[in-house]
Amino acid sequence: MPKREDIRSILVIGSGPIVIGQACEFDYSGAQACKVLKADGYRVILVNSNPATIMTDPELVDRTYVEPITPEFVEKIIERERPDALLPTLGGQTGLNTAVDLAKAGVLDKYGVEMIGCDLDAIERGEDRKLFNECMEELGIETARSGYAYSVEDAERIVVDLGFPVVLRPSFTLGGAGGGIAHDLDELRSIVAQGIELSPAGEVLVEESIEGWKEYEMEVMRDRAGNGIIICSIENFDPMGVHTGDSITVAPAQTLSDVEYQRMRVASLAILEKIGVETGGSNVQFAIHPETGRMVIIEMNPRVSRSSALASKATGFPIAKAAAKLAVGYTLDEITNDITKATPACFEPSIDYCVVKVPRFAFEKFQGTDDTLSTRMKAVGEIMAIGRTFEEALGKAMRSLENGRAGLGADGKGEVSLEAEMADLVSRPTADRIFFAAEALRHGWTAAKVSEATRIDPWFAHRIADMVQVQENLRGMTLDELDADALLVAKRYGLSDVQIAHLTGTAELDVRAHRKELGVVPSFKTVDTCAAEFASSTSYHYKTYDASETEGAPRTKQRIMILGAGPNRIGQGIEFDYCCVHASYALREAGYETIMVNCNPETVSTDYDTSDKLYFEPLTFEDVMDIVDVEEPDGVIVTLGGQTPLKLARPLEAQGVPIIGTSPESIDLAEDRDRFSAILDELGISYPAAGMASTFEEACQVADRIGFPLLVRPSYVLGGRGMAIVYDGAQLEKFMGEAARISPDHPVYLDRFLEGAVEVDLDALCDGEQVYVGGILEHIEMAGIHSGDSACCIPPFSLSEAVLAQLRSIAQRIALRLGVKGLLNIQFAIKDSVIYVIEANPRASRTVPFISKATGVPLAKLASRIMVGESIASFHLPPDDRRLDHFSVKEAVMPFGRFPGADVVLGPEMKSTGEVMGIARNFPAAYLKTQLAISYALPDGGVAFISVNDRDKRAVVPIVRDIVRLGFRILATSGTARALQAVGIDCEVVDKLHEGSASITERIAAGDISFMLNTPFGSATRGDGYEMRAAAVRHGITYVTTLAAAQAMVAGMEVVRDSGLDIVALQDLPQWKE
Amino acid sequence: MSNASEALLKGTSKAVLGPALLVLEDGTVFEGRACGAAGETFGEICFNTSLEGYLEVITDPSYAGQIITMTYPQIGNYGVNLDDAQASRPALRGLIVRDMCAQPSNWRSEMTLPEFLQREGIVAAEGIDTRALVRHIRDHGAQRAVLSTVDTDVEGLLVKVRASESIVGVNLAETVSCEQAHPFEEGALPESMAFALDEQLTDGDGVPKSFRVVAYDCGAKRSILQNLARCGADITVVPWDTAAEEVLALAPDGVFLSNGPGDPDAVAGTYQQVEKLLGQVPVFGICLGHQMISKAAGAQMEKLKYGHRGGNQPVMNLRTGRVEITAQNHGFGLVFPTLGELLPEESGGFSEHADDLRFWSEKGIAPVVRNPRFGRIQLTHVNLNDGTPEGIAFLDAPVFSVQYHPEASPGPTDAHYLFTAFMRLMDGRDDYLDIDIAQDRLQGWRF
Repeated sequence: MPKREDIRSILVIGSGPIVIGQACEFDYSGAQACKVLKADGYRVILVNSNPATIMTDPELVDRTYVEPITPEFVEKIIERERPDALLPTLGGQTGLNTAVDLAKAGVLDKYGVEMIGCDLDAIERGEDRKLFNECMEELGIETARSGYAYSVEDAERIVVDLGFPVVLRPSFTLGGAGGGIAHDLDELRSIVAQGIELSPAGEVLVEESIEGWKEYEMEVMRDRAGNGIIICSIENFDPMGVHTGDSITVAPAQTLSDVEYQRMRVASLAILEKIGVETGGSNVQFAIHPETGRMVIIEMNPRVSRSSALASKATGFPIAKAAAKLAVGYTLDEITNDITKATPACFEPSIDYCVVKVPRFAFEKFQGTDDTLSTRMKAVGEIMAIGRTFEEALGKAMRSLENGRAGLGADGKGEVSLEAEMADLVSRPTADRIFFAAEALRHGWTAAKVSEATRIDPWFAHRIADMVQVQENLRGMTLDELDADALLVAKRYGLSDVQIAHLTGTAELDVRAHRKELGVVPSFKTVDTCAAEFASSTSYHYKTYDASETEGAPRTKQRIMILGAGPNRIGQGIEFDYCCVHASYALREAGYETIMVNCNPETVSTDYDTSDKLYFEPLTFEDVMDIVDVEEPDGVIVTLGGQTPLKLARPLEAQGVPIIGTSPESIDLAEDRDRFSAILDELGISYPAAGMASTFEEACQVADRIGFPLLVRPSYVLGGRGMAIVYDGAQLEKFMGEAARISPDHPVYLDRFLEGAVEVDLDALCDGEQVYVGGILEHIEMAGIHSGDSACCIPPFSLSEAVLAQLRSIAQRIALRLGVKGLLNIQFAIKDSVIYVIEANPRASRTVPFISKATGVPLAKLASRIMVGESIASFHLPPDDRRLDHFSVKEAVMPFGRFPGADVVLGPEMKSTGEVMGIARNFPAAYLKTQLAISYALPDGGVAFISVNDRDKRAVVPIVRDIVRLGFRILATSGTARALQAVGIDCEVVDKLHEGSASITERIAAGDISFMLNTPFGSATRGDGYEMRAAAVRHGITYVTTLAAAQAMVAGMEVVRDSGLDIVALQDLPQWKE
Repeated sequence: MSNASEALLKGTSKAVLGPALLVLEDGTVFEGRACGAAGETFGEICFNTSLEGYLEVITDPSYAGQIITMTYPQIGNYGVNLDDAQASRPALRGLIVRDMCAQPSNWRSEMTLPEFLQREGIVAAEGIDTRALVRHIRDHGAQRAVLSTVDTDVEGLLVKVRASESIVGVNLAETVSCEQAHPFEEGALPESMAFALDEQLTDGDGVPKSFRVVAYDCGAKRSILQNLARCGADITVVPWDTAAEEVLALAPDGVFLSNGPGDPDAVAGTYQQVEKLLGQVPVFGICLGHQMISKAAGAQMEKLKYGHRGGNQPVMNLRTGRVEITAQNHGFGLVFPTLGELLPEESGGFSEHADDLRFWSEKGIAPVVRNPRFGRIQLTHVNLNDGTPEGIAFLDAPVFSVQYHPEASPGPTDAHYLFTAFMRLMDGRDDYLDIDIAQDRLQGWRF
């Protein structure tokens, strides 16, 4: 069946900001889908609040709305654009939920919009456990025995039949939020109570535990002719009980015989048909009892998902692209297999390699939270590795995580020697369990014992046991003893050069030299969907030592290699991938052959058609050098992928690799504090007074010299880890103690903290001769909050033209002095009319995508062209001091809801996972849009709870006056209440937590509070404030923790009340064209 | 293997059994290590792309005369469950894998794959760059090969392989057929492979119908017979060259022609008998059986460059437009135009044969030819990967056949409906082939 001609325009809903459980895989899927729909001649309208996405690039679709993904805003877009159809299956749970809301509210009917790809009934049958279970029963497919609880008492009744442990799943929550496993009545009561609160339906499914069973996923596609195919089967390394997003997973399934696999296959296809997924991709999860083979269906998602992105990367089959084409009426046999270009997409990929996905966690950022993995997803990112065997792929995976490890152990880190400690570490599922399992095997545990303790399938345990055995056999041998055969064995069992160096007591470079001398070099194979049965025209490669033949296309033009950003983690998100993708697009267009290297399966950069060639490999020195050896690139870009590739700049350069753009020497000039301070002195630019100390005594001397408060941080740690602000000697003493623990042999940096300063971010381009300031961002929160966590606005809303000119001038001087060729980010603090430079990073910053969207000037694309020798003058850019006639605000999105127990206060250590953007004619409206995009609800009256620290008590008064004017009643803690009452503001006083009676947390739990303003100070009010903020997060109450944010919020609410919020398409804003 | 590398592997699951050499007739050499029985074996080198189901492949009699390369690198992961075997003994000549697993894990596993191979005397090698081998076969075609764990002299092996027998022109079916006629014991149906009893045809009183089926055994896979039995066939298995008269004397409701190995032209002993059966009794053929029917109708066969072997081949049913993902295993195929001239009035007005049969799938037409011996024959199924014929149905006689494997084993079971179709054919229904895959999908599976 050809494509539908009765549809002309299609609305696509994106997934919004990156949050845990919903990351950039939906940008990858959505961007693919938008591209094919547009190529097919449809008018595509997109809504997505996340500016760091490729899909929101204005040239990708016809109308791009960077607006909150709420039914209200989407309705406004529908009203204006009048799409014929809505495609809801590409924007994750957010997209699906919004579509369901719109359908139920009658909006789709009202405007005659047809939902394509999946209809409302199918979504409900897939999502509603009751309907789903009924469908399964009709098919004769088993589900876990279960019952629904609407109260704790219900749950207690149900559990009498099922017995402990039971799994608890609140209905309609994202990524299993609020779920868990209860082993006893206490746990049952607490999880059910929380789950009922979190579930929009007030409903929790209580289910027979299948914890410890084998877990599988099937990625399925279906077209409207009824053709169904399986794209990929995935077997979880971690057994049931760990959320699949938190599990190590392996493709294809490893331990099923054909008849067992086919049983799962027919069930998956039958389930899709039964649920009524007319077209598109779905994901079906099964559990299998390891001893009896009893098969139970866990769930299905009638949309593209994290797993489908993984399956696409694992097989080379573009699920989202196909899903979009199927949604507009094509059938699978009418779509050509992208990779072979000769066979149809209606087939099941056969792969001749093994794929391992490993999640990346960030527990170190959330002190106080339990790091045990459960049915509630906590991973912030993931990596994928490809090898010819599981062993090779796992070895690669374990060095891809950017966590300082060089592989699965044998790198001198994370060694455990106590048997008692070992038993706990191995049996409890945590981020590092696999390392502990390897340690246990190293200490003589058998594979069977590991398997028993973890319920990890013996097959995996045996493979790891072999890997550890090879490592231990190698330990103590000398490098000279290793001949070519032996090195090949080590490599085939996944060992990195760093591990071999550690085990043989040599250095990585020695291992590399020895290896190459013996001719032990890897070969590169192709991901081709068909196990080489047909010729492939796509260059999607992986490295292996388990083979002897290398596949690669001959050189036709100049080659530029772009090093990607590795796994998403806090501080290193999708923004860097965006920059890498843009560089690849721009350089391809400019006539270069582009080569992408990355290991993050969620991203657009690892889509095989983003670059001319894709190498799915870890971003380590060894892996990158091996690719350099075969590709011999004419230039390598290290400054767009964040810290991960940047730290390779020096080692690569030392091997003669042509690094293009800003030189490693210039990077060092900016990163080395002493050298950079010297440059600032030379240029006559101010920076905060600073010092270094190794002991508390030394620290006191520094403090005496530069004064409190101080911004303190351990040296040689990344991402603001361990950073804090100290106000007095006691705090300093405590900090120095902590720092000695985190980073014992390194001194601590102490900077004068500019309390109350306005922070500013600036991104600029420099070609060595000219500097172009792409944008200046004014932070809404005052200095002291990590720039990645701070809301910011372009153009600045409170800075004078004179200050802006001064900022531009400083940027120009620094850029030219450092010798930047590409992007430069500078962070400023402005206090008492003095401009201080906090730091300069001669690389792409987190704010580049946002600024590019806000200004219409694609900074990353231009930067990459500067790197290959083009000049800024040749771009004919609009003047950088032009006035923008709209305001764009970026706000950070926090994952606190996922980490019960961790404090929700912002500080110098970054904690956000993603960002949203709001665009409007004025600053408050733009700010408010970001708040709506995050919390989906705006308080419009009721009780506002105010509790501020002493420093803010004076400044809070005018804000509270505004809040009162907006119709809120005020509730305040005693100190704040005194300040308010003193100026005549009526307010009710509520007890702090330790003061007894009806405390504030109870009021929050009771749903009395609609808005909360709480500014913490130092550590004194930490205990109390912590409880209040935690309660606010749990109950989804709109809260702010800074006065600046409160002010913006209140101003925004006024704007809404007066004139409402209008929508803006990026295409209506000025866009730079060559 | 050097001493240092053996030292590294000490204590791992990897047994060091000595070297193995694979030498192709064009002189290409692959070095690996033994991982099955010791010995030297000759055969046609080919590859199978199924991700799982190695035991079914190894025990499929159609692989007689061949050395099989599995494209998935790690083989043996879930061990061996003899319930899944397709014949009592493997018929293949040798096995090539990237990595052999000696420590499998599966609740049904009875032994490891290396143990099975050794028990059955199958020479096997691991440690070979199977992807490079597959690419070589793809580009240079299937060819003769020798796999040896006893001779390490490449030149000598090359001389031997060039002197070895080609499978072209050799009747391999007789080597894997049964000795004498015997009933198929239905009692042997394993629980795990429960198919299709639900769809069994019933008479007016709801009593399941039973059909007497004579099955020519040219190397029949056990799961084919199991599927027939589950659909209601009472099967008598007969040797490959049983005379048509003997078959008809058994008064069957239908005759089934099985799969089998090698060159169809060499199996005259079967297709000459089939010619006498067509039109006399309902006939269904799978794989070699399909080729036997085609040969009986006077058509020509061709040898494919490297064959279809795997579980992911898309086949369109031209009568319904639906695509089935099919299991396949054949190195020879029907040249469709040689069945006869196109009948334009039943072929959408087209009178010229298309070289690439995807012409018909794109047009949505199931073309019909006039066969000099048996009247009208319809092309019912086409392979969407390469446009080769996958199934035909006689319109003037109760005969149909497919080149692929509806019993799968290993592979997807989308085409299971063809067994039901055979029962319907024997029941005299004209619409016997018009079955929706989706309706048939769950037939008999127990969860």
